[in-house]
Amino acid sequence: MTRKTSRFSAFYLSLFFVILYLPVLSVILYSFNASPSTARWTGFTFDWYRVLFQDRVIVESFKVSIQVALATAVLSAILGTASAVISMWVTERMKKAIQGMMILPLLVPEIALGIALLIFFNALRLPFGHLTLVLSHSLFCVPYVYVMVQLRLKEIDRSILESARDLGATTWQMVRTVILPLVTPSIITASLLALAMSLDDVIISTYMSGPRTTTLPVHIFSMMRVGVTPKVNALCTLIMVGMFFIVGLSQLFNNTQRKEGL
Amino acid sequence: MQTLKRNILAVPILVWIGLLVGIPLIFVFGLSFLSRDSLGTIVFQFTLENYQRVLSPIYQRVFLNSLLLAFLTGAVTLVIGYPVAYITANLEPKKRALSIGLTMLPFWISSLLRTYGWMILLGNAGIINNLLLSLGIIETPLPMMYKFGTTLIGTAYMLIPFMIVAIFNSVDKLDRSLLEASYDLGASRRQTFFNITLPLTIPGIAGGFTLVFIPALGMFYVSDLLGGGNTIFLGNLINTQVTRGRNRPLAAAFSVAMILVVLLVISLYSRVAKDDREGLFL
Repeated sequence: MTRKTSRFSAFYLSLFFVILYLPVLSVILYSFNASPSTARWTGFTFDWYRVLFQDRVIVESFKVSIQVALATAVLSAILGTASAVISMWVTERMKKAIQGMMILPLLVPEIALGIALLIFFNALRLPFGHLTLVLSHSLFCVPYVYVMVQLRLKEIDRSILESARDLGATTWQMVRTVILPLVTPSIITASLLALAMSLDDVIISTYMSGPRTTTLPVHIFSMMRVGVTPKVNALCTLIMVGMFFIVGLSQLFNNTQRKEGL
Repeated sequence: MQTLKRNILAVPILVWIGLLVGIPLIFVFGLSFLSRDSLGTIVFQFTLENYQRVLSPIYQRVFLNSLLLAFLTGAVTLVIGYPVAYITANLEPKKRALSIGLTMLPFWISSLLRTYGWMILLGNAGIINNLLLSLGIIETPLPMMYKFGTTLIGTAYMLIPFMIVAIFNSVDKLDRSLLEASYDLGASRRQTFFNITLPLTIPGIAGGFTLVFIPALGMFYVSDLLGGGNTIFLGNLINTQVTRGRNRPLAAAFSVAMILVVLLVISLYSRVAKDDREGLFL
């Protein structure tokens, strides 16, 4: 590359990333603004963060979100891993069928899926709340666990499985003592990602929330509709920090897994 | 017999997803042919009225708005994202990892926060207006919120990482020897780009376009917060019909229409991308 074009490339890339992070940084910066308006910067304060913890609705919806996200992560981990492991033994056609089914929830537009589930659960007379939230969230989380565990399964040396078989292990023993320990890091990474996705979902949760069980993003959305307030900035900033913590953890597992090799 | 026994284990999985996705979709389809009374209760009476309304001139406008928004989102993210992906693919390994990391990181930042960031930037009392006012460039705040363009900024901003990643994978897979051959034969950089690189990365472009187009149709919170309901999009319409209008059959009909649009886009995509469909797991 000539020097002139490479300098232009560097400039373009930097400009792009500045714009990409500008909105995010603005939210963080103004969560510390003493003035309730973005019109002026009147000094540095932590007040907006303190106010958050006194807001009952926020604390309650945060609890709902965490409970739902944890349950979703566990359920998705179990279902996703089971699907991936079972895929090792079924016929090629059945494997294709499983893959097709896994793509389905990701293909349907989220809003259409949300309404479909709303109508369905309504017809079943299921009470809207934790249960409907977990069921619907796991729908878009399971495919990710499935894909990640399957990628890991592909890396496993077939000869290990064959030697386990030669030593007289039953299929179930093989799954329990050989396969599961090998894929555990992937399962942990994937379920942390499921946790993050569940915590961030707005569209499906809008339709799945019950009268007293609103998730945090749904509540934040209703706050944002009213307008800009530093309280929302502070809340969003806190969630972002929490999310980075979760993603950081999942990367950590991913890296140790890679270092162990195999 | 043996294969039957092995396959039986997979049945619960298929049933589980089938139950939670397949059946609800059938319900939506069924509901779209029913009517409702004035209280919003569903009446079991077959009607085509919902579809007639979907096709009526008022709602055609909504469709056009949404398709235009989704298409422009695809176009904007392509024009801005292609150079990013192209430059990134040609960086040295360390910088390239950093660039990809910075592109993907926003996936893990709440989509509401990212939308809200634009409200802070573009509002009448927002950061950009304050800056321009204090510099004396303008005297009254520029109205930048609640326009079609504002929504477009939001959807494009939200979805551009998908476009970049899809194109990056495509550029990265490019056979470098083809480019060298082109240079050896005396082609300029521009000629090489338009004759070799661009045609070969079309599957990546198509993939990115699909990944951007589909969610752009339904992101009602972006158009709600940034567009302020001034332009009505499909997502907002479905959402209001369900949450406030209490007309679920109509919302169901619109959902069916939306799914049809998505299927159309996906079939177009698979025609363009043919066998080269890695990374987009369709």
